[in-house]
Amino acid sequence: MSVAIRTRGLRKSFGSSVALDGLDLDIGTGEVHGLLGPNGSGKSTTIRVLLGLLHADEGQVALLGGDPWSQAPELHRRLAYVPGDVSLWPNLTGGEVIDLLGRARGAVDGHRREELIARFDLDPTKKCRSYSKGNRQKVALICALASDVELLLLDEPTSGLDPLMERVFTEVIRDGRANGRTVLLASHILSEVETLCDHVSIIKAGRCVEAGTLTELRHLTRTRLIVEVDGPPPALHNLPGIHDLTIDGERLSCQIDSAALPAVLRSLSEVHVRSLVSAPPTLEELFLRHYQRS
Amino acid sequence: MTNAAELTARPSRASTVVGVRPALALALRNSRWFWLVWVLLLWAVIPTTAAAYRTTIPDDAAGALEAAALAGNATMRAILGPPYDLLHVGSFTMFRVGSFVATLAAIMAVLGVIRATRAEEETGRAELLRAGVSGRHTQLLAATILGLSCCGALALLIAASMAPTSPAAGALCMGLGIGLTGAVFVGFGAVAAQLTASARTARSLALGAVGVAYLLRAVADGSPNASALHGLQWVSPVEWAALARPYVGERWWVLLLPVVLTLALLAAAFGLESRRDYGAGIRPARPGPAVAAPGLSGAGGLAWRLQRGNVTTWGIGVAIYSLAVGSLVDFFETAAQNPALAERFRRMGGGSSDPRKAFYVAMLGIAVVGVAVFAVQLLDRLHREEDSGRSSAMLATATSRLHYAASYLIPALVMPTALLALAGALTALPSSLAGGKIAQVAQIAGAAIALAPGLWVIVGVAMVLHGWAPRLLIIPWIVVGWSMVANWVGPVIGLPEALLKFTPFAALPHLPAEQMSFTAVLVETAIAVGLVAVGLTGYRRRNLG
Repeated sequence: MSVAIRTRGLRKSFGSSVALDGLDLDIGTGEVHGLLGPNGSGKSTTIRVLLGLLHADEGQVALLGGDPWSQAPELHRRLAYVPGDVSLWPNLTGGEVIDLLGRARGAVDGHRREELIARFDLDPTKKCRSYSKGNRQKVALICALASDVELLLLDEPTSGLDPLMERVFTEVIRDGRANGRTVLLASHILSEVETLCDHVSIIKAGRCVEAGTLTELRHLTRTRLIVEVDGPPPALHNLPGIHDLTIDGERLSCQIDSAALPAVLRSLSEVHVRSLVSAPPTLEELFLRHYQRS
Repeated sequence: MTNAAELTARPSRASTVVGVRPALALALRNSRWFWLVWVLLLWAVIPTTAAAYRTTIPDDAAGALEAAALAGNATMRAILGPPYDLLHVGSFTMFRVGSFVATLAAIMAVLGVIRATRAEEETGRAELLRAGVSGRHTQLLAATILGLSCCGALALLIAASMAPTSPAAGALCMGLGIGLTGAVFVGFGAVAAQLTASARTARSLALGAVGVAYLLRAVADGSPNASALHGLQWVSPVEWAALARPYVGERWWVLLLPVVLTLALLAAAFGLESRRDYGAGIRPARPGPAVAAPGLSGAGGLAWRLQRGNVTTWGIGVAIYSLAVGSLVDFFETAAQNPALAERFRRMGGGSSDPRKAFYVAMLGIAVVGVAVFAVQLLDRLHREEDSGRSSAMLATATSRLHYAASYLIPALVMPTALLALAGALTALPSSLAGGKIAQVAQIAGAAIALAPGLWVIVGVAMVLHGWAPRLLIIPWIVVGWSMVANWVGPVIGLPEALLKFTPFAALPHLPAEQMSFTAVLVETAIAVGLVAVGLTGYRRRNLG
């Protein structure tokens, strides 16, 4: 699989505050890649380095086979960017901004532009000064999504959108994935990443602490199990890979490492199980595990 | 079943202005410097002018001659106002700066009221207040009280400082006249703030009213007394202070005009505020184009779109100014018969003893600094775009940094240069037309262009800072500010020559009084080119916010 974005050992500090501290990132072509991290973890700095707006103090960056610092304009023809906090020119209308930025990147696909304006329900004749935050966000999204580019860099793109518009966004991104478009989605909204992304990198204090496909990552985490039995519960505490085991009369709950699942199921089959609830690991648990460790 | 109307208690009228005391305290806290600086600066102009009276109009036959020439000159009347008795210090002060200060007080009032009302509402800060114990009119009432009080303070300061010039009634009349002009425009500002949802548009509307008032005044005062146009002076609120004739048999009843108009405008403003929704204007926002015009493409198209209003305003302003001062050259020659004034003109005019040449040198020196303000403003937009986070939207497209910076830099070099040439040509035009010496237009335009390298150096300094240290972008403004002091008032207030030489314009040839010096022009041009190159290199290499 070819590589759309690769960084090695990226470092960037602003005065005494360290924003990136040796960030390694690998994003394959055609991936919808979630960049997860709370505020201040370095997501936006990463994207600004990838755009060539910031120069990394150390480390290497390759984006679409080029160097974003020295080849920005050529690379930018092939990508589109949506910031999390969109500020627009107050005296221009939304439609004018969409055309302006589209033309500055290359040609504007008029048909796609109209379609997206309709889907996102935007009034393009309003001056940007009168748009709400959500509407400004829509302008930036339409502008990016209407362009025929290989890569989308999205920095918390749905902040300010209502749930209906979030759904439209999800649909449009999925259409793009079907067409082989690469997407980097920086976000702290776990459900959004979970629905959209096939790959995830979790960053913490400017480093990548976990990366892989969502399936792989789930594998690293535990399944939660709640069982009610008739009679005495099975003696699970002797098995390896069992955590947080609590037994409350006939009710038993625990967390199980993926590797321990077969053994647990075997011992459960020996007792009379009245009910069984098993919850797959969520991204949230995964995320919290990294952030609660500190 | 009870309907909703029966469930609501009958509102009292006072509930719409409840909480005015804390609102007033907040408005004062938010704009104390604004009002303080404006009121003190405007006030200071009056006693300063009165103090300089005898050096301008000496107490002899030459002074009387000069006063007559001033009163008879249509351009002077159009710029300054009606001359009633220029041989009395109070009346002269009213003529020389009174209407001017009244007009500035109008601008102060408009800006002050809108900043405390519509601007607060547009940013959404007022919403927090409105949701508290506060009525519909509370904020407008607080802004009005504050504006009227500050106009009152200005009136009292003027009256107190002019009281020693007898009669004291004249001083009071002058202070009240100017203060009441401000009050009228507190009213205009309050009305404009109700009309549109945008503070910027409200400001333009209200400042437009000031502009129209000034223009009516200028047309009326510039016309001969017998002309029908002369009667227009009664229509212009910024003329009423002069029409009350301080020191020349005060006509107190004239001051009723601003009182009545202020009350009417305020009543209209409060009435309008009752008829509109919070955050909305009476005039709904008009939709704009859904599709960008072909010209709005790329960084250059965007830069032009953002700056075109500014460029047009400056173009018109410089054209009107240049034509007006250009028509004064003959008057200037007459006035130079007064030796004290001749010496002042000689110093302002680069040392030329020919008053016409000195006049052009002095006027170009004033114009070039004005144009420098325009140049720095044009380039500063580059930083404002970055500061507001909008430049990253453009730089995330196929726009290179060099191209992006150039789309602000090139207009900042070219347009001020063109404007400077225009200023030179139009300053020379009126007397050239009258004297049939059209070649002089090109000559003075050339003289203006000889000063352009100074503009380019200032833009170059600004570009270096954009590239390397945007935090220090105040420096070009300091250079421009100092040039303003040196070229506008320096020679008159007697600053040492060595200090006056410390501007980017001093080393350049001051045509037509001096000989052309290509060395100075080429050296400064080369410095400017170097600065621009260094600045662009920095802009390509630094982190962009």
